[in-house]
Amino acid sequence: MALLEARGLTRFFGGLRAVGNLSFEVAEGEIPGLIGPNGAGKTTVFNLVTGFVRPSGGDVWLEGRSVVGLRPHAVARRGIARTFQIVKPFPNLSVKENVTLAAFLRHPARRDAEAEAARVLERVDLGHRVGVLASQLTLLDQKRLEMAKALATGPRVILLDEPMGGLTPSEVDAASGIVRRIRESGVTVVLVEHVMKAIMRISDRVIVMHHGEKIAEGAPAAVVRDPAVIAAYFGKRVA
Amino acid sequence: MRRLAPWAAGVLAVAALPALARNTFFLHVCILVFMWTVLGAAWNVLGGFAGQVSFGHASLFGIGAYVTIILYLEAGIAPWWGIPLGGLAAAAASLPIGLICFRLRGPYFSLSTLAVAELVRLVALNWEWATNGPVGFLITALPPLSFLGHAVNWEAKAPFYAVAAALMLLALASTAWLRRSRLGAYLAAIRENEDAAEAVGIDTVRAKVLTLALSAFLAGAGGGFYAFYFRYIDPDAVLNIGLSMEMVFIAMVGGLGTVGGPLVGAVFLTTIGEAVRERFQVGHLIFYGLFMMLVIRFLPEGIWGRARRLLANARARVLLHGAARG
Repeated sequence: MALLEARGLTRFFGGLRAVGNLSFEVAEGEIPGLIGPNGAGKTTVFNLVTGFVRPSGGDVWLEGRSVVGLRPHAVARRGIARTFQIVKPFPNLSVKENVTLAAFLRHPARRDAEAEAARVLERVDLGHRVGVLASQLTLLDQKRLEMAKALATGPRVILLDEPMGGLTPSEVDAASGIVRRIRESGVTVVLVEHVMKAIMRISDRVIVMHHGEKIAEGAPAAVVRDPAVIAAYFGKRVA
Repeated sequence: MRRLAPWAAGVLAVAALPALARNTFFLHVCILVFMWTVLGAAWNVLGGFAGQVSFGHASLFGIGAYVTIILYLEAGIAPWWGIPLGGLAAAAASLPIGLICFRLRGPYFSLSTLAVAELVRLVALNWEWATNGPVGFLITALPPLSFLGHAVNWEAKAPFYAVAAALMLLALASTAWLRRSRLGAYLAAIRENEDAAEAVGIDTVRAKVLTLALSAFLAGAGGGFYAFYFRYIDPDAVLNIGLSMEMVFIAMVGGLGTVGGPLVGAVFLTTIGEAVRERFQVGHLIFYGLFMMLVIRFLPEGIWGRARRLLANARARVLLHGAARG
């Protein structure tokens, strides 16, 4: 049984179909990548899976139990964590407090939550910045904080929305390293990403979306040669 | 122990004050300060800690006042029981209010609380069978009560002083508890970014509704005390929008999201109010507004917030100094 499964996921915003009849499965331990041109509906898929937006149709199961209709905090409790493309830290709180707040989900006592936060911050290489206000961090560190908060909720699956977006090439390497370490720690990762170099290196399977639909799926090297994918990105004449 | 020391000193000071100053007007001002501290703390729990700015807390205050006075006049329940019941009634009323208003965020939430408060005021004005409408209620005599073998003299200020001081202690202690609790941490997350709070598993609706209920209990108990102390209420006195604004004023001037802030804010509000009321009548509202603008411009963290930061800085400097020398 797949760890995370979506069937016929659909969402209309007024007359616009942002996601249409999308199905996919994620097995434990993989890192599938969700790619597609701007406006393809990738972030909407994350919003549908995590309860921030209700699907107009279709269903999502985590370990065989539907999570559709749950509010985002309840989805997080079930074990699906997410990051935001535009980072959403608690800006006027310290890095440590940011992550402790997330750790409260599995560790109700403050002391346990703080210990868990410290462990998670080491895992994303933020251990040296615990006392800094989140608003003072560089973008790379804010992306790290975003991942730390998601990890601290103790998830089964973590949905990363463009963790490399806006980073320099050397920062992309640092972030890729963290993503790979997350997988090695036993948490399944679903990745939305525009930085193709990173996707090619990290993901073993990609799902390509265009106009809210899945147009291709498979190994990254094969998918980038797919005429439908090239047409979606560069137009029909190139393909 | 060190955390409790300022509390013990505060309780002693409040207990000693009436013995030192036998002036009735001074005691009256103290009672007002205590009452406003409770109301400022009530507002601050929601507005300062959770960042949910309410413009309608007068409705909760008014509900507490009406319930306390109606229970006394219609059912003979003494006000000292009626005050907590008034708080509970306001907390109960806050649940539907929260369910409606918390569907909205930011300024839209604030405006919806204003609308609810106006609704409550109009109901109080027009449901004459329950509220006496614009005529209001008057307590002509308080029930006899004896304390340590002495009959309590309801014409003196002392018994009211004691009740107001107890309510203030309750309000400050519950905010101090909240600040250290997990719920308090959740409220900080909600204030900072509500979506991010949900994403890390915080049930934001539950946290806000619980906090509003605590806030409503304190505001309602404050309203009950008002009815008991002034012995007269009508919609204009206890459901006026000005009351809501004064609660905002106290929390902002004192320091949003602080424990001691409302006390500082209440001292300023009451002093300004009493100092200028005689000469300018309702013109004191102009001075509140002016003062609030000055604070927002020059002391955005409030008087208590700024003082606490300066103190922390000074302490850090002393420690650094000591470390450098040693």
